[in-house]
Amino acid sequence: MTVGEAGSREAGPRTPRPVKAGADDPVEVRMTVNGTPTVLSLPARVTLADALRDHLGLTGTHVGCEHGVCGMCTVLVDGEAARACLLFAVQLDGTDIVTVEGLGRPDSLHPLQESFGRHHALQCGFCTPGFLMSSYDLLVNKPDVTEEELPEELSGVICRCTGYRNILTAVDQTRRAHPEGIPGPGNCVRTALVGRAGQGTDASGGPDEAGDTVSPSVQDIVLPSGDPTIAVRITTEIDLPEDRVWGVLDDIYLLARCLPGAELTDDYGNGHYAGRARVSVGPIKLAFNGVAQILEHDREAGRLRAIAQGQDTGGAQTQADITLTTEATGTGTAMHADAKVYLTGRIAQFGRALAGDVSRRMFEQFADAVTEAATSGQAPSGPVKAPSALSLVFAPLLDRVRRLLRGAGPRRRSGRDKER
Amino acid sequence: MKAAPFAYVRPSRLSDAIAELAETRGGGKVIAGGQSLTPVLAMRLARPDTLIDINSVEELGALTRSGPALHIGATVRQRRVERDPLGASVPLLRLALPWVGHRELRSRGTVCGSLAHADPAAELPAVACCLDAELTLSGPNGHRRVSAREFFHGAMTTALTPDEILTSVRLPVAAAGEGFGFAEIARRHGDFALAGVAVRVRLRAGGPEATMTAFGVSDRPVTRDLSERLAAAVNDGGDGLAGRLKEQLVAVVEEIVDTDGDIHASRDYRRRLLLALAGRELSKAYERARDGAEEVTT
Ligand SMILES: Cc1cc2nc3c(=O)[nH]c(=O)nc-3n(C[C@H](O)[C@@H](O)[C@H](O)COP(=O)(O)OP(=O)(O)OC[C@H]3O[C@@H](n4cnc5c(N)ncnc54)[C@H](O)[C@@H]3O)c2cc1C
Ligand code: FES
Ligand code: FES
Repeated sequence: MTVGEAGSREAGPRTPRPVKAGADDPVEVRMTVNGTPTVLSLPARVTLADALRDHLGLTGTHVGCEHGVCGMCTVLVDGEAARACLLFAVQLDGTDIVTVEGLGRPDSLHPLQESFGRHHALQCGFCTPGFLMSSYDLLVNKPDVTEEELPEELSGVICRCTGYRNILTAVDQTRRAHPEGIPGPGNCVRTALVGRAGQGTDASGGPDEAGDTVSPSVQDIVLPSGDPTIAVRITTEIDLPEDRVWGVLDDIYLLARCLPGAELTDDYGNGHYAGRARVSVGPIKLAFNGVAQILEHDREAGRLRAIAQGQDTGGAQTQADITLTTEATGTGTAMHADAKVYLTGRIAQFGRALAGDVSRRMFEQFADAVTEAATSGQAPSGPVKAPSALSLVFAPLLDRVRRLLRGAGPRRRSGRDKER
Repeated sequence: MKAAPFAYVRPSRLSDAIAELAETRGGGKVIAGGQSLTPVLAMRLARPDTLIDINSVEELGALTRSGPALHIGATVRQRRVERDPLGASVPLLRLALPWVGHRELRSRGTVCGSLAHADPAAELPAVACCLDAELTLSGPNGHRRVSAREFFHGAMTTALTPDEILTSVRLPVAAAGEGFGFAEIARRHGDFALAGVAVRVRLRAGGPEATMTAFGVSDRPVTRDLSERLAAAVNDGGDGLAGRLKEQLVAVVEEIVDTDGDIHASRDYRRRLLLALAGRELSKAYERARDGAEEVTT
C-alpha cells in the first residue's frame, strides 16, 4: 500500500480512468478526503469504509453491519450521504469525500455536533457519526423538512441505544437555528492522512502489501492548515559558544540522535530523510515511521527549520513543524525550539494537556542531548533512550502536584513557557 | 464480512464494457451503484471473478427527454432522477423513488440497477411495468428492446443474458388526463414492501383506463388492466370511491397474491394490505386525473 498526498494541482474532481486489474492487484485511487488530496493503492474489494479507517486512519466512520442496513458508515460522497460499506474505494476515483472528522473541529464543533451534545443525542456514540452525516445531508438537501418528516427521513441510521427522541430533537433544533441553511463542514483542511499500514489487517485479509515497515517515498510533506494540536516553545541555555552548538545542528545524523527515541534510516537527498521514532508512555508504546524534510538550514541567521510526518502501526499520526534558533548570550548560547505538533488517530485521544506535557519533556531531553553532543563533540552513546514511563508520566504529574502544593496559579518560568 | 477477491475492470466505452463482460464467460458481473450487489458480495452469496464497473462509460450517464419518453441511462442515480426537473415528467417515478431504501442508498443506486436486480419487492420494477416501459439490452450481438412486462421472469431473474448490459430504460412521459398513485406497506421506512401498488389512470372519452401493478406479493411485479372495474366503481356514483373499488377488486387481489406467508406477513394479511392500498391509490389516481392536479412538466 502506498499512502501519499497529491499536490494541489491534482485536486478536484476527475473522470475515473479506465482500469483493468486482476484479483487483489492494487488499483490506484485518488480522492479528496476532508479537503486533503490522497492517493491510495488498494485491491478492488476494499470498501470505502475500510480505506478510510485502515488506510487513512479516519476511524470516525464506524462499521456495523457491512451490508448497508445500519447506516453507521454514512459519509458524504461528492456532497451526498452514502454508505461507505457499500462502495468499493476504487470506484471513487476523482471523488470528494467528507467524513465525520471533516464536519467540525474539536475546538469548533459543527452546529449539528453541538446540538447533539446539547440535547443528549448520543449515548455510546457508535451511531453518532452516521446520524451526523445523514442529518447533515438531509438539512442541506431538504432544508424545509418538517418535524413530522424527521423520523422517516432519518430512518436510514439505527441507534442501538435507542436515543431517537433526542436525536430528532437535536436535528430539529439545528434546522430551526439555521433557517438560511446549515453551515458547511468546518474541518476540511489539509491534514496528515496516514493509516495503519503494516498492521496486516486491511480488508484483503491477506498480508499487507507494504510489509511491516512503510518506506515512505520521497515526497513533499504538506503540513495541515488547521491549528496544531500542541504548540511548544522551549528555551535552553547552553554553556557553549554558538558555533559549537551548530557543530551538532549541521550534522543531521548527530542531531537526529539527540531526539529521544529517534534515528534516521535513509537519506533521500535534497534535505529529505526517512526515520523512525519510538515513544513509550506508561502502557502506551508507539513506533513511528516517517519522513522529514529540512526546509531551512541557515547557520548565519541561526535558524534551522524541519517538518516531519510519521505514522505508527496502530493508526496514530503525527506531523510536526520545528524551528530551532540560536543566539549568542554573554555566557554561551540560547537555543529556542519552537514546535507545532499535529496529532490524529488514537494519540489525539491522549488529551491536549498530557500530549503537551509529553512533547515538552521530549524537547527538554532533546535540548539536554544537544548540549551533551556539543560538549563532547560526539553523539550521545546510542540513540537517546525513548522517553520512559517514569519521566514522562510522573514528571508532569509531580510538576502539577508541586504546583498545587505551592498553591500558586500558573507557574511563571523564565524562558520556558508552553502555549495552549 | 468482506467480499472475496475479484478482478476489476473499468472501461470508458460501452463496446469495451460489453467485450470485457463477454470475456469473463459468465464469471463477470456488472456493477452500477453497487447498492444491491455489494451486500451480496459482502455476504459471499456471490463470488463473481470479475466486476465490470460501468460508471466511467459516459454514454450511459444520459438523462434526457425525447418526445413522449424519458430516457434514463444505466448509470443515472436514483437521487438524480428525484431531483432533476426532467424526472417530474414521469410522476409515477417521482411518487415511487422516496420509497426505494433510504436517501443514502439512492445517492448511489441506479434506476437501471434496480431493474436489473429484479427484486420482487422492489418499487422501480413495478413502476416500469405499470408504465409499460421499454428496456434496451446491449450485448455482443447488438441491441435489443424488451418491454418491462416481459423483462421480469421471476425473483432476481430477467431477460438479461449473462453477456448483456441493460443500457437504458425509456418511460412514457405523463399526458394530460392521466393520474397516478403509489403506496406500499413496509415494516419500517426503507424496508422492502410487504405489499405495494403502482397505478395509472387515464381518462378517455369511452371511460377511464386503469392499470395496476402489484409488488411484494409474487415473485415478480404483477400487472392488471382494471379499466372495467374502475368504470364500474365510478358509475356507481356518490362518495367513497375507494371503498367501492375495494369491493370490485377482491377477486383480482385474491388471484394476484401468490407469495407464501413469511415471518413478517401471512398470505392473507398481504391480500388485505394490497386490497386496501389498491382501492385507495386507484381512487386517488382517478381523482388526480380528473382534477388535472398531476403536475406535468416539460
Ligand atoms: C439496506 C438496503 C435497503 C434497500 N431497500 C430497497 C428498497 O426498499 N427498494 C428497492 O427497490 N431497493 C432497495 N435496496 C436495493 C438497492 O438500493 C436498489 O436501489 C438497486 O437494486 C440498486 O441499484 P444499483 O445501481 O446499486 O445496482 P447494483 O448493486 O450495482 O447491481 C444490482 C444487480 O444488477 C446488476 N446490474 C446493475 N446494473 C446493471 C446493468 N446496467 N446491466 C446489467 N446488469 C446490471 C448487477 O450485476 C447486480 O446483479 C436496498 C438496499 C439496501 C442495502
Ligand atoms: S456498516 Fe455500512 S450500513 Fe452498516
Ligand atoms: S448512541 Fe449508542 S448506538 Fe446510538
